[in-house]
Amino acid sequence: MHAHEIAEPYPVIQAETSALDAARMIARERRPGLVVIGRDGAPSAVLSASQVVQFMVPDYVQDDPNLAGVMGEEPSAKIAERLQRATVASLLPREPDELPVLNSDDTVLEVAAIMARLSSPLAVVMDGGEILGVITASRLLETVLGDSQ
Amino acid sequence: MIFAIVVFSIVYVLIASEKVNRVAAALAGAGVILAVGTVTTEDAFYSTETGIDWNVIFLLFGMMVIVGVLKLTGVFEYVAIWATKKAQGRPFRVMALLSLITAVASAGLDNVTTVLLIAPVTLLVCERIGVRPIPFLIAEALASNIGGTATLVGDPPNLIVASKSRLGFNDFLINLGPLVIVLLIVFVALSRLLFRKDFEADPEQVAQVMTLDEKEAIRDRPLLVKSLIVLALVLVGFTLHSVLHIEPSVVALLGAGILIAISGLRPKTYLADVEWETLLFFAGLFILVGSLVKVGVIDQLATLLVEATNNSVPTAMMVLLWGSATLSAIVDNIPFVATMTPVVSELVAPGGQYAGEDGLWWALVLGADLGGNATAIGASANVVVAGIAKRNGHPISFWEFTRYGLVVAVVTLAIATPYLLLRY
Repeated sequence: MHAHEIAEPYPVIQAETSALDAARMIARERRPGLVVIGRDGAPSAVLSASQVVQFMVPDYVQDDPNLAGVMGEEPSAKIAERLQRATVASLLPREPDELPVLNSDDTVLEVAAIMARLSSPLAVVMDGGEILGVITASRLLETVLGDSQ
Repeated sequence: MIFAIVVFSIVYVLIASEKVNRVAAALAGAGVILAVGTVTTEDAFYSTETGIDWNVIFLLFGMMVIVGVLKLTGVFEYVAIWATKKAQGRPFRVMALLSLITAVASAGLDNVTTVLLIAPVTLLVCERIGVRPIPFLIAEALASNIGGTATLVGDPPNLIVASKSRLGFNDFLINLGPLVIVLLIVFVALSRLLFRKDFEADPEQVAQVMTLDEKEAIRDRPLLVKSLIVLALVLVGFTLHSVLHIEPSVVALLGAGILIAISGLRPKTYLADVEWETLLFFAGLFILVGSLVKVGVIDQLATLLVEATNNSVPTAMMVLLWGSATLSAIVDNIPFVATMTPVVSELVAPGGQYAGEDGLWWALVLGADLGGNATAIGASANVVVAGIAKRNGHPISFWEFTRYGLVVAVVTLAIATPYLLLRY
C-alpha cells in the first residue's frame, strides 16, 4: 500500500492564524495536530496538539513544574485569552523542524519511518507541489492492523 | 614563558569576548599547553601547585548532586510563597523577603541554582500581584551575589580561594558573614529607593496572592526530610572542618553519596543538575593557570603587585578589592580569581612580602563577588536571571540591569572598604 492510498483530506492553517482558532480546530475534531501552510500553499510546519498544550502552561511553570499545583485551577477564560493573543507562528519552534513530508508513492514503512524519526503525529503527502492529504498516526495504525487481520 | 602567556591571554580574550564557548576555549588552551609540554601530565593532574584542584571540582560536584535532589522537593517554592503570603503581597515587602531568602539560600548553595529556583516563583507572584517582575528579578540576582559572598560554598571564587588559601568554612563565615549581613540590610534599604516606582499595585490583585497554596509545592515529603537532614549534616561537616579534619570536598561527596543511597532516585535524576560544562571549565582553567605558576609568571605578578603597592598592606587590599571588582564587572570572575589566587597565596605565605595578611584574601573575594553585581554580565546569576526574564516575555536590557547593579556594587564595595581597612 502506498501513501496516496491512505492519505486523507485534512484541514490546514496559516502561521498568522490565531492560536485560539488552531486550538479550537484541534479540540473540536480531536486531531493530533494541524498542517501549517505558507502563502504559496506549501506546507511550512506541523503544529502538534502537544505544542498547543505546552503554550497553555506559562513558561515559568515549565521552568519549575512544582508551581503548577501551587497556582490552583487556572480559569479557562484566562487560558483562552492567552491563546487569543498568540498566533500559530508563536507556538512553533524558532528554528523550523524538518517537515514530515512524503511522496505519494512512499510505502507504509516509509510513512512510519518518517513519523517515528521526527516524532510527528502526522505526515503530509505531496503530489508534485500540491498537498494530496495527510496521514495521521491513528490512520497509519488502522491501515497496518487492518492488513494483518 | 612567552608561550604560556600567549596561550593564556588568547583563552582569556576568547572567554571574555564570548565568541567561543568558554569550556571549549579553556580545554583547547589546556590541550595546547599539555601537547607542547609546557606542563607535563604530572604537573596537570597530580601536582597541588600547578595541577587541577580536585578539591574544588569534587566539592562543586557533590553540592550539585545535593542541590539537584533538594530542588525536586519543592522546598524553595514553599518558602518563597509562604514569605509572599506573610508579606500579604505588598510589593516592597515581597521584594525584601524574596531577596533575603535568595541571599540566605545563595550562602548555602550556589548562586545560579538559587536564582533558577527563585525566578519562576517570582514571575508567578508578580503576575498575581500585577507588578512588573523585572525589578524583583534584578534585586534577587543582586541579593544572590551578596549572599553568596558569605560562605566558602556560596560562590565559585570563594571555593577557589578556600582551596588554595586553606581558609576554612568557618573562616569565611566569621570574616565575611557579619559584613554580608550589614550589606544585605543596606541592600534592602537601597532597593526601596532604587525600585520605588515599581511598588504600586492594585490592592484587589494583591489579594490574589493569598490564593496560592504553598503546601502543594511539596510533592515528596519523605524526600524533603531526607534532603534537609543531609544538607544540615553537610553544613555541620563544613563547620567542623577544624575538628574533623575532613576536607569540604569529602564532606560534600559523602553527603551526595548518602543522599543518593537513601533517596532511591535514578542516576538520570540525581545527575540532572550536575553542570559538567562548569566542571570541565574549571579543570581546563586550573591547567592553564598551573602553566603560569610553573613558568614563573605568577612569581613576577606577585613581585609587581608588591612594587605597585609599596609594601603597604592597606594599599594592596584596596588594589585587590577595587581591581578585582572592576575586572569582575566586565569579565567572568572565575578565571580572574583562578589567576590571582596563586599570586595572593605567594604573597601571604610564610616568608612572603605580606606573610599572614589574610585581609588580602578577603579583599580578593569581596572584590570578585560584589563586583559581579555591577553589570548584567558581571556574574552568572545575572545572566541566568536575564535569560529567564526574556523567555517569559520580560527582557532585561544590559543598561536596565547595570543602572541598578552599578549603584549596588559601588555602595557595597564602599562599605567593604572601611571594613577591610579597620579589621585587617
